[in-house]
Amino acid sequence: MSKQGRDAGRVELTGLSKRFGGFTAVRPTDLTIPEGSFFALLGASGCGKTTTLRMIAGLEAPSTGRVLIGGQDVTGLPPHKRPVNTVFQSYALFPHLSVADNVAFGLRRKGRKDVAQPVKEMLELVELGHLGGRKPAQLSGGQQQRVAVARALINHPQVLLLDEPLGALDLKLRRQMQLELKRIQTEVGITFVHVTHDQEEAMTMADTIAVMNGGVIEQLGSPTELYESPKTAFVANFLGQSNMLPAAVLGRQGDDLALDVHGVRMTLPASRAVPGSSGSSRIVMGIRPEKITLGKAEPDDAHRNMLRGIVSEASFIGVSTEYRVRIAEGSELVVFSQNRDDERPRVGDEVVLHWNPRHGFGLDAGQDLDAGTGEDAL
Amino acid sequence: MTTPAKTSDAADAAEAAGPKHAGADGRPEPSGPARALRAITGELRRMPYLLLLPGIAWLIFFFLVPLYFQAKMSVSSGTLDKGFDLTWTWSTFSAAFEDYDEHFLRSLYYAGAATILCLVLAYPLAYTIAFRAGRWRSLLLVLVVAPFFTSFLVRTLAWKTILSDNGTVVGFLNTLHITDVTATLGLTEGDRVLATPLAVVTGLTYNFLPFMILPLYASLERIDPRLHEAARDLYASPASTFRRVTLPLSMPGVVAGTLLTFIPASGDYINAQLLGTTRETMIGNVIQSEYLRVRDYPTAAAMSFVLMAVILVIVTVYIRRAGTEDLV
Amino acid sequence: MNSRDNRSGSPSDFGPEIDAALETMSPAVRAAAIRSMTTGRGAALRNAMSRRSILRGSAMAGLAVAGGSLLAACSDDDDKKDSADDGGSGGAGQVVFSNWPLYIDVAEDDENKHPTLDAFTKETGIKVKYTEDINDNNEFYAKIQPQLASGDDTKRDLIVLTDWMASRLVRLQYVQKMDPANVPNAVKNLDPRFKGNTWDAKREYAYPWTQLSTLIAYNSKATEGYAPESVDDLLTNPKLKGKVALLTEMRDTVGMVLLSMGKKTESFTDDDFNAALAKIQKAVDSKQIRRFTGNDYVQELASGDIAACLAWSGDLIQLQADNPEVQFVIPKHGYATGTDELLIPTKAANKANAEKLIDYYYRPEVAAQLTLSINYVSPVVGVQPELLRMDPAIASNQLVMPSPETAAKANTFRALSEAEETKYEEAFAKVIGV
Ligand SMILES: Nc1ncnc2c1ncn2[C@@H]1O[C@H](COP(=O)(O)OP(=O)(O)OP(=O)(O)O)[C@@H](O)[C@H]1O
Ligand SMILES: [Mg+2]
Repeated sequence: MSKQGRDAGRVELTGLSKRFGGFTAVRPTDLTIPEGSFFALLGASGCGKTTTLRMIAGLEAPSTGRVLIGGQDVTGLPPHKRPVNTVFQSYALFPHLSVADNVAFGLRRKGRKDVAQPVKEMLELVELGHLGGRKPAQLSGGQQQRVAVARALINHPQVLLLDEPLGALDLKLRRQMQLELKRIQTEVGITFVHVTHDQEEAMTMADTIAVMNGGVIEQLGSPTELYESPKTAFVANFLGQSNMLPAAVLGRQGDDLALDVHGVRMTLPASRAVPGSSGSSRIVMGIRPEKITLGKAEPDDAHRNMLRGIVSEASFIGVSTEYRVRIAEGSELVVFSQNRDDERPRVGDEVVLHWNPRHGFGLDAGQDLDAGTGEDAL
Repeated sequence: MTTPAKTSDAADAAEAAGPKHAGADGRPEPSGPARALRAITGELRRMPYLLLLPGIAWLIFFFLVPLYFQAKMSVSSGTLDKGFDLTWTWSTFSAAFEDYDEHFLRSLYYAGAATILCLVLAYPLAYTIAFRAGRWRSLLLVLVVAPFFTSFLVRTLAWKTILSDNGTVVGFLNTLHITDVTATLGLTEGDRVLATPLAVVTGLTYNFLPFMILPLYASLERIDPRLHEAARDLYASPASTFRRVTLPLSMPGVVAGTLLTFIPASGDYINAQLLGTTRETMIGNVIQSEYLRVRDYPTAAAMSFVLMAVILVIVTVYIRRAGTEDLV
Repeated sequence: MNSRDNRSGSPSDFGPEIDAALETMSPAVRAAAIRSMTTGRGAALRNAMSRRSILRGSAMAGLAVAGGSLLAACSDDDDKKDSADDGGSGGAGQVVFSNWPLYIDVAEDDENKHPTLDAFTKETGIKVKYTEDINDNNEFYAKIQPQLASGDDTKRDLIVLTDWMASRLVRLQYVQKMDPANVPNAVKNLDPRFKGNTWDAKREYAYPWTQLSTLIAYNSKATEGYAPESVDDLLTNPKLKGKVALLTEMRDTVGMVLLSMGKKTESFTDDDFNAALAKIQKAVDSKQIRRFTGNDYVQELASGDIAACLAWSGDLIQLQADNPEVQFVIPKHGYATGTDELLIPTKAANKANAEKLIDYYYRPEVAAQLTLSINYVSPVVGVQPELLRMDPAIASNQLVMPSPETAAKANTFRALSEAEETKYEEAFAKVIGV
């Protein structure tokens, strides 16, 4: 599918913010979403994802800032004049129209008469070719979902906005739809802005993820980048799980920082600490549970960071076991361990934890280390 | 036996609007071994029918029984003093049509005009209340039904003052030469509005407006505002959004509202009596006069029947059309 | 307001004293006016449609059926009010009295209290169950006719119906003969002009409650000073074109036209009737007539939308009190009049008590009290001195206490057979468009 021009699907937000009365839903945000990318907006419930999306679609007027699509300033344009389409969080299918008429709605509004063929093709693309005559109420959730996608896609928008389109689906259907959406996106090549609070969904589908928290984009990057090098405790906790170890900075050793963690010396590459944090005297070192090796004996490699502890909990998950290891009074680490060895540590066993220093990441000490872990992150 | 035309009209309306939703019970046969359980579920199965009982009783006593007596009366003959005997006199029906065809047509015309006016007035109002009123919504709804707190008669009498020949409203219409236009159309006479067809239609419109607003509001209020956004997102202008989404989705309200307005309006006689002249009398006035003035119960009963039948036919055709019409 | 000038040259019998009387509102009228202003919205209606004539026209009665809350608006919860609750000493029994709304005196402070009834109970120990459930002669008749025809108790001991309906009940023997010995006051005090009656020659079955008259009324502002003198003026004078109302009540409208043609309402023929109807029809066709009304003419006469009309005397006192430009005329050919009659249905359980109540209301001082409150002409001799004592203004009001000359112009409508009644009503219905 060819586009009108290069970068026609690029979305730029400059200083975009939204206030509802005295409440700021979205803080001033600058963001560029490249043409043709699959962009995910990830964040906890109520963090302003939908609001951001609605401002792009023109359904909400921004309090400040501008929206540019394909280089054109659309801030003042009403929704029906913007080259974007939305797949709504609730689908919002027209209940009085058949599936085919729902899909044809946008084309008809643009004055297209010969809609039968494109509708047929689009319904086939989402594998609903046989259901064109039904009313939305006669479809399953997943089918409605696909109608919503088809209804938006058929217009060949420069940008497709998807607001948690898979939220209502069961896990299996969600997986299936994720793949399908990804396939469609690759096929049609237009920009997808996908809002979700499901970090796995964001990671499997998106080229780029923006993690939002409290109306601010905390970090932007590829899924691996975000996962391997989170820049805030929120990102570290919201994307997967992290162990957070408060540490004192003892000094610098070449490219590494020397740290004191619970009285144990450890190292962290200075490049893996967020800028600014390395200069201060306190830092938080994060380490993902699956990066930690759990053993009985100390590692051969002396460069690895190492801690000793006692297993306080072990939950068998199947492919792996999740251990909680107490390393000091009131401090526990979570460790995922593949169930490769026949002899697995038990509760009460004394164990050694060690990991490659390059797997750690350094965060600012002055933040809430539980951000993005608790019940607020659904 | 008194079966005033009004009662039968109302019952007629109730029937026309009513029994569609008689719930069907799709519960499977209980298969549990415990008899008690079966008894309970059996009870539950019968529940819907038990719950229908008061409604059925109501229908029988206040609709079917009067209807029966009315039917009998319409083919009887006699006088009030000597009593009426069933003589299977059908001439009452032909008389009803022949002598009063003008009144029938006029009633349908006025009721139709009032219904259209109600729709035109009520829609924007209901729309505003449903989508734009915000926290004023409840207040506005109360205001809509507020006229119901006074009697129908008093409300209608008030229009005599409003439309008085020397009043400001008519003065204003005269200044703008609107009365000249309406007079040319035969809706008013000279410079006056009171005692003209326009006054009667205005009265009907006013009196039945809440019957239009409330169902419209109910159906508009049920429309998910996100559907509007979806339409706007799919390149529909505000006008096109209204035409393609809002209007079709509010059709149940439009149908209910027009029926609730048209049916009682076509049987109404108070507005014609108080706001019209001898040239604006409606079929309701005739029926009322046949009952209370001439005391010709058979003719009155026959005319009530004809009115009912006419309305029933119109309503059926209307519902058919509104129901099957391709709304896109 | 130079009402006297307006009326100069008119054949009215009313002297300047009437104007004076109307200028100075009687306390009763003033009380009614004040009441009408202080009891809220319903009062506006009470004001415009005060008194029992509010529902007199049969059309209006139908309206009352449909707009049932009108009754609520007018009579509040008078219905089913047992007036004797507080005064009764047991043993003397009760009497069930059905009447029209707003057709009896009410206490100044409580509209649900009727002083004359309370005094009756106090004096006799008889409890009065007073119900205002008569809104229309035909409708009420239809309601009680089945019991009467089958010889059952109507559960009412005393009812009030207009003379022509009363005549029917008498003819069909649906009412009981009264014992003259039980109603000595009534025998003695009945005004002689009500005695010779075609359907109850010896006054054995019915006694009048009040007299009702139909007159010509006009709004001098709307007629620009012109005073119509006769029904002919209403029907033909181009000055009034499109601003004339007649009544939907057949006897009143046709009666007035018959009188204007020099015919007698006591004795007219089919031809006379048809001629009168033709005359009305002509006025309708020429659009001289604006509307046929129940007593909703009151509002339009006051506003001037109706310049001249046939009006009921009972409405006029209140109307004039509120609108000085409203005038009335007694046409020289005479005016139509009727009575509302007290009747005791057959099988009434408390006939003796009902007779006692009738007799009670035929005491001049009681009758005067009633008249003072409802402003209808009393059929009781001796009311005038009582009224003079209580309220001289009312006592000299021709609408309430007609002079002998005025009274002499009153004409009653002859009793009609059922066939005639149907025929006439049917023909009249055609004229008024139904
Ligand atoms: N119209 C509104 N008026 C006031 N506050 C609003 C409005 N719309 C949204 N908000 C508030 O703005 C914040 C962001 O809302 P938004 O819908 O963007 O959240 P979200 O990130 O999409 O959440 P979710 O994942 O639950 O859909 C929320 O706290 C919400 O309460
Ligand atoms: Mg959302």
